[in-house]
Amino acid sequence: MNWDFIMEYLPMYERAAILTVKLGLIGIAFAVLVGLICAMIQYHKIPVARQIVAVYIELSRNTPLLVQLFFIYYGLPKLGLQFGPELCGIIGLAFLGGSYMAESFRSGLETIEPIQRESALSLGMTNRQTMQYVILPQAVSISVPAFVANVIFLLKETSVFSAISLMDLMFTAKDLIGLYYKTIESLFLLVVFYLIILLPVSILGSLLERRLRHAGFGA
Amino acid sequence: MKNLKKLLALSLAFVLAIGVSACGSSTKDGGSDTSASGKEVYRTLDEIKKDGTINIGVFSDKNPFGYVDENGEYQGYDVYFADRLAKDLGVKVNYVSTEAANRIEYLQTGKVDVILANFTVTEERAEEVDFANPYMNVSLGVVSRDDNVITSLDNWNKDDSIIVISGTTAETYLTKNYPDIPLQKFDSYATAKEAFENGTSVAWANDNTEVIAFSLQNKGYTVGIPELGSADSIAPAVTKGNDTLLNWINDEITSLGEENFFHADYEATLADTYGMDYEDSLVVEGGKTE
Repeated sequence: MNWDFIMEYLPMYERAAILTVKLGLIGIAFAVLVGLICAMIQYHKIPVARQIVAVYIELSRNTPLLVQLFFIYYGLPKLGLQFGPELCGIIGLAFLGGSYMAESFRSGLETIEPIQRESALSLGMTNRQTMQYVILPQAVSISVPAFVANVIFLLKETSVFSAISLMDLMFTAKDLIGLYYKTIESLFLLVVFYLIILLPVSILGSLLERRLRHAGFGA
Repeated sequence: MKNLKKLLALSLAFVLAIGVSACGSSTKDGGSDTSASGKEVYRTLDEIKKDGTINIGVFSDKNPFGYVDENGEYQGYDVYFADRLAKDLGVKVNYVSTEAANRIEYLQTGKVDVILANFTVTEERAEEVDFANPYMNVSLGVVSRDDNVITSLDNWNKDDSIIVISGTTAETYLTKNYPDIPLQKFDSYATAKEAFENGTSVAWANDNTEVIAFSLQNKGYTVGIPELGSADSIAPAVTKGNDTLLNWINDEITSLGEENFFHADYEATLADTYGMDYEDSLVVEGGKTE
């Protein structure tokens, strides 16, 4: 292991890590938004929109992110739609993540027995109040483990960003191997940096899971 | 139970990290640690002959040097040569598709016996692998659009980027000599080409053979800088220390020179793209550059 090399290229990994985290977080934020909207549409069984969401979820969950990125980055310009690589990465992540998030939110919503909703309504609560005070608190706490798993999954998926010329961690490692042939050092730094990013997320996630365990009915 | 699991996972991650660093620290600097473990990763000439198959790393997307044609067959200047190598060695050939950046690793890990993927000889690379005698001349070139032909890299506008392929001599050269020019890096020829056609960058720097081929095959592009940096050569590479195979390839290149093999190779694979004008400047016969 050549430590001089590691020290010299540490800043490059830091920049790559920042890019990875930045695009990852923005992408995930949009994924949550898309997921929430889709889950709500499905939960309320809104016609037409519901079918569109179903198609989107199947399309997004059953194609690899790499393929989606290729389509967005290399395919769309042929149709006259051109985005920079960073925007493409975010769109790709939101497209892929949206369906996973939707599924985890939906599963959370569906575990709440209809009787709770009916009871709340019969007590005179409005639709909104029912959602806000009865359904969502329970649904959210049930969705948390799946949500955290999705966040980690999506952060890891950013490793295919290299295909659209984004200098993320994976590309930096590959690039350094190609430039200086320091395979072991480059891969070592790669593992370390992914751990630095993902371990806190996973630890925070399990803390959050325990913290939110209080909600629940009949469990 | 949950905590225990977490603890276990954490310690596992640590053990792994330490293990990786411990393995690495026993080898010397320089990266050519293929023989450090005592067991060679490469196969000698006899071992390849005995096995009956030689593994050759070639490009699968670099027309007309190494590419897969519409029938799924490997074709091109490098492949023409590789076919002949295998034939004269009396073995079958197994083509392994490589990308620019992993050519050295493929040799160092023994995934291929020979790399014939338009591999430019450089000092840095020669420390990691052994090059045989050259079979082609090359230099760097820069191609750009007709409406904005780039003829010089000086006074570069910082908003413009140049496309390069990760792990190529163009990337190394620009990183070293023009650190201020933003590079947009791709990991394969196919994606770089696609991105360049989509107009994400003003220019594409690569081996001049490749950019000339690109400008001849695609309308609207001009090679504004046909020669950049030093003139280099392209040669087969084997794993460091694999002398039996290296010597055999060198002898083979010498004897192929007597029948003007590489001129025939050029005419069969490159003439369609380049015409006959570039034949003498590109081809190296018998392993001897002038």
